[in-house]
Amino acid sequence: MMIFRTMRKVWATDPRVDPNPLVYTILTVGAILYPVWAQISTGGQGDFLISVLADAGVYILLAIGLNVVVGFAGLLDLGYAAFFAIGAYTYAFLASDHMVVTPLGEAIHLPFWIVLFIGLFVAAAFGLLLGAPTLRLRGDYLAIVTLGFGEIVPRVFKNLSVWTSGVNGISALDKPVLPLWLQGPWSGDSLEVVQNFKIISPMAFYVIMVLLLGICVVLVNNLRKSRVGRAWMAVREDEVAAAAMGVNTVRIKLLAFAIGAAFSGFAGSFYGAKLSLVSPENFGFTVSITILVMIVLGGMGNIPGVIIGSLLIYWVTFLFLPALPPLANEWATKIGLGGLVPPNGDWPGIGEEMHRLQFLIFGIILVLTMLLRPQGLIPSRVRQQELTRGVTEDQTIEDVNAETTA
Amino acid sequence: MQKRWLSMTAVLTAIALVAAACGGGGTSGTTSTPSGAAATTAATAVGEVIIASDLPTSGADASSGLPTQNGAAFAIAQTKSYKGITITFKPFDDTVNGVHDPQKGAQNVQQMLSDPKVIAMVGPFNSNVARAEIPIANQGPLAMMSPANTNECLTQTFPYCDPQPAALRPTGKNNYFRIAAPDTVQGPAMADYIIKTLKLTKVAVFSDNETFGKGVADNFVKRLTATGGVLTNRSDFDWKTTNDFKPFINAAKAAGAQAIYAGATSATKACIVRSQMQGILDVPFTGPDGIGDDQCLKDSGSNTANMYFTNAAGDAAQNPDAASIVAAFKQAYPKASDLGAYTFPAYDCAFILVDAIKRAIDAAGGKVPTRQQVIDAVQATSGLKGTVGTYAFDANGDPKSATMAFWASKGTPAVWTFQSQFSVGQ
Amino acid sequence: MVSSVANARTRLLAGSRGKLLNATLFLIIAIAVIILATKVATLGPAYFVQILVYGLANGSIFALIALGYTMVYGIVELINFAHGDVFTLGGFISLWLLPTFGVTEGGSVSGAGLILPLLAILVISMVACAVVNVTIERVAYRPLRHAPRLTPLITAVGMSFVLEGVMYLWRGPFNLHYPNVLPTAGIELGGANGPAIGFKDLAVIAIAIVLMVALSLFVERTKLGKAMRATAQDRDAAQLMGIDINRTIAATFFIGALLAGAGGMIFGLYYNTITFDQGFTAGLVAFTAAVFGGIGNIQGAALGGLVIGMIQSLSDGYFDTAWTQVLIFAILVLVLVFRPTGILGMRVPEK
Repeated sequence: MMIFRTMRKVWATDPRVDPNPLVYTILTVGAILYPVWAQISTGGQGDFLISVLADAGVYILLAIGLNVVVGFAGLLDLGYAAFFAIGAYTYAFLASDHMVVTPLGEAIHLPFWIVLFIGLFVAAAFGLLLGAPTLRLRGDYLAIVTLGFGEIVPRVFKNLSVWTSGVNGISALDKPVLPLWLQGPWSGDSLEVVQNFKIISPMAFYVIMVLLLGICVVLVNNLRKSRVGRAWMAVREDEVAAAAMGVNTVRIKLLAFAIGAAFSGFAGSFYGAKLSLVSPENFGFTVSITILVMIVLGGMGNIPGVIIGSLLIYWVTFLFLPALPPLANEWATKIGLGGLVPPNGDWPGIGEEMHRLQFLIFGIILVLTMLLRPQGLIPSRVRQQELTRGVTEDQTIEDVNAETTA
Repeated sequence: MQKRWLSMTAVLTAIALVAAACGGGGTSGTTSTPSGAAATTAATAVGEVIIASDLPTSGADASSGLPTQNGAAFAIAQTKSYKGITITFKPFDDTVNGVHDPQKGAQNVQQMLSDPKVIAMVGPFNSNVARAEIPIANQGPLAMMSPANTNECLTQTFPYCDPQPAALRPTGKNNYFRIAAPDTVQGPAMADYIIKTLKLTKVAVFSDNETFGKGVADNFVKRLTATGGVLTNRSDFDWKTTNDFKPFINAAKAAGAQAIYAGATSATKACIVRSQMQGILDVPFTGPDGIGDDQCLKDSGSNTANMYFTNAAGDAAQNPDAASIVAAFKQAYPKASDLGAYTFPAYDCAFILVDAIKRAIDAAGGKVPTRQQVIDAVQATSGLKGTVGTYAFDANGDPKSATMAFWASKGTPAVWTFQSQFSVGQ
Repeated sequence: MVSSVANARTRLLAGSRGKLLNATLFLIIAIAVIILATKVATLGPAYFVQILVYGLANGSIFALIALGYTMVYGIVELINFAHGDVFTLGGFISLWLLPTFGVTEGGSVSGAGLILPLLAILVISMVACAVVNVTIERVAYRPLRHAPRLTPLITAVGMSFVLEGVMYLWRGPFNLHYPNVLPTAGIELGGANGPAIGFKDLAVIAIAIVLMVALSLFVERTKLGKAMRATAQDRDAAQLMGIDINRTIAATFFIGALLAGAGGMIFGLYYNTITFDQGFTAGLVAFTAAVFGGIGNIQGAALGGLVIGMIQSLSDGYFDTAWTQVLIFAILVLVLVFRPTGILGMRVPEK
């Protein structure tokens, strides 16, 4: 009933009103129907599709976290993957046999649920550690410091031979266990109460991911509307003015930074548990940039937009582009351009050429979004107004600053 | 506004669980029955099976991945069906942004498992991808047959292994096989070759600090120092950012190195070092199979003489029985870049799987076999003659005997030529 | 009122923190120097000289890139992330031109027959890069000059990906061999096993010095150089004085890319390899150099480039190559945190 009422209300009113409730509704319904659709459309073999969406959920979590830093507080973090790595490695250290081979000599097996929060706090601590001295700096210096940090962290994990298994990474991590679980069709079994239920099936991961995401969205939304959230916006719009109004800008920025890092650590722990492997090579600059593209495209500062952006970019990077080369080959053959398919001299074949487009596509998405629709696909209404009415061509930043502080 | 939103979410979450319950009804017991063999038999009544492959076939890794995929595709195309059951090939690519990615590999295996027709796979190529894939395939269970994985810890238990092979196999049964000799053989083989055949003792070693490169360099150094050789200096490069190898080369020169060993591949800049040695240090340049391709010779510029590499598989051209297959392959894939060091090993992998599937079909009375039956049939392979070796597997999934070949480039013309090969019993 | 109190407090804090920091930094540097000295002693002076030569050559290339960063930052306060890729583009264009001009590895040309085509290629690549960079500025940065700060920064990251994407499409993901056309021989100091200052090293250092001197003369002496300095100091005042801001900014991008393009070709000739994505790290290291020397400061960027190049070579030569990048990025973070104005810095950050 709730859904219908909300939808009717949204449709009944002016389409220019906040699209968020509609998007939330679509997302929630989609999250529910997706497994059903996945199983029916593949004849009961949809585990793969469900697993992919659970993986995408990790990126949604990351994007929501980065959105707090970039979208809410206006701090550009280009090394966000570093905190992701810290979370994943925290899980690997605390929930696998790995510590046996280190000088410690004793395996640590903490439960998933506890490590999830340890990962969160460890990442947040690193966020504070990095943020405390650097958040005083102006915005683009911060971007560079975070970029440097993002380059350092994976290399440190790669070089600490015995402690992190170096380049091999750490594998065979523990699977999450629920002490008590009502087993049922949602985990692929008959209905019964199970003790020490081991989460292996993609469906179980999916359910956990959806629940975690739901909780995080509620949390972040509440944060946004709180005093802290309003302070973030104030700092983003004009730091001097915010300071003059009594906002402790350094502390409020630090909080955004730490919360963003915490999300990343949280996502990292989940990622480690699901993949059962962490490797220093999966936390590079491309990951940080992918997450940034997600929020920029979706609509910086607006959570439903960020979720849509994440899903879209995840689909493009992990599903569409990898599927493109065979498709391109097929189409080329169909329309009589079969000669384009095999590599020939400098021509690598249309399939490989399609794959090579990836960097270009990423770059063009970033540039075009910034030039044509800087507010993103589903913008936050505040930000949209700020972008369309805030500053005009013939005003300089200084003018606006002068206006706002005056 | 906020309250309505909250309650809406709560209601919807509850609905989500119920709906998921209904929707999830179709899944078969992946959680409680890790052996999962039942999943395959029920769904496939029609006679079609698929052999999948998981290799890095785009980006920088494509130079080694695509020729490998060609070998597997060619082998499977030769046996179109058996007793009315068609056998087809379905390749997967495990690269993301042009670099092999464990997570993508794991997703690929998940996708294979979700298709009941897939009953075995060729691959993966990279050891860290294998680490992510083995546990997932193990719960399928799905037979994996790698042409190129050489990391010893994937199959054998050593104190320094992390994780131990057993930890990668949650069901306790083995589903992973490979035909390449592990790094415990390849690195030492070159150490022996340098000391005995080239009669040199002082060697400088570098690695690309990757799973494969560092592992093979470590094993090389172990054997070198154990048999009277001297390690002059060693560097583990951050290959993505390092372009200046001259300090390493000069340190080697200062220490009087008589040869260089590269624990790296041509994709990780191994042969840039060779090019930069020009005019500074003129000694033999040696490495593992990763430098045995065209890319390496291009990277070396005009400094291509006196280079050696070991190949963890035999040379198909040395096997007179394989001559017709090699010729047929070259007709189907005429370009030089279609053929790589692992093309025929991949051919053999697919060949072993086809052979095992045939026997499994026979054992199942002409019906499509289960995935477990295919694994059992692969394990039972014995004395099967492929293009680059004769195959049987031990309980770990390692080949009972493997071939190690030496290749060299003499400069003009800049091509790799076969030197010698020997058989390694384990 | 409020802000002046806050400033005073910040200055006080900075004072006490500064002292502690200076002591810590001094300690770290002292330890590093002692370890280095013992290593230098064991490996001999010849090797040390050799490493210094490589460090100078490395540093010259970084300095050429760093100058572009520092000039652009000085005038529009934008970290031009695409700058590193403009540098790579210089390498790609010159690699493509080499056979056209008959220059091949092991080819028969030498002397003037080699140097003239190389110079021609150098000039063409430099100009081509400059045109590309000005186009980028016109298309992607100028429309956003008054947008919120984050916007052009993200656009710059996007342009970097576009350039990498174009080069990726053009030549693929593999390492490309750059012909080794410069003579490998050099001046040998102290016998066959002693250090050698190669012709290549000298050529790299010489070209870099010539270009840098030309640049500083240009900025000091010409009218356009004066306009650049004025615009960097106060854009609005410069505009009031009748300076064409758009033209001045475009000129800055043009000159920065000239140097980066030259750097790209020198890089190829020196290391004999280029890859489509090398500009990312090279650019980051060069940016570190620019920050190290004080961003916006031309002499600072040149000095910073040399210092960072030297640090890289010393770390590669005496410590562990695997940690070199960590060391450089750690320097970047530390400099920004503790001395954001750099060692020769002039421009004081807003906050």
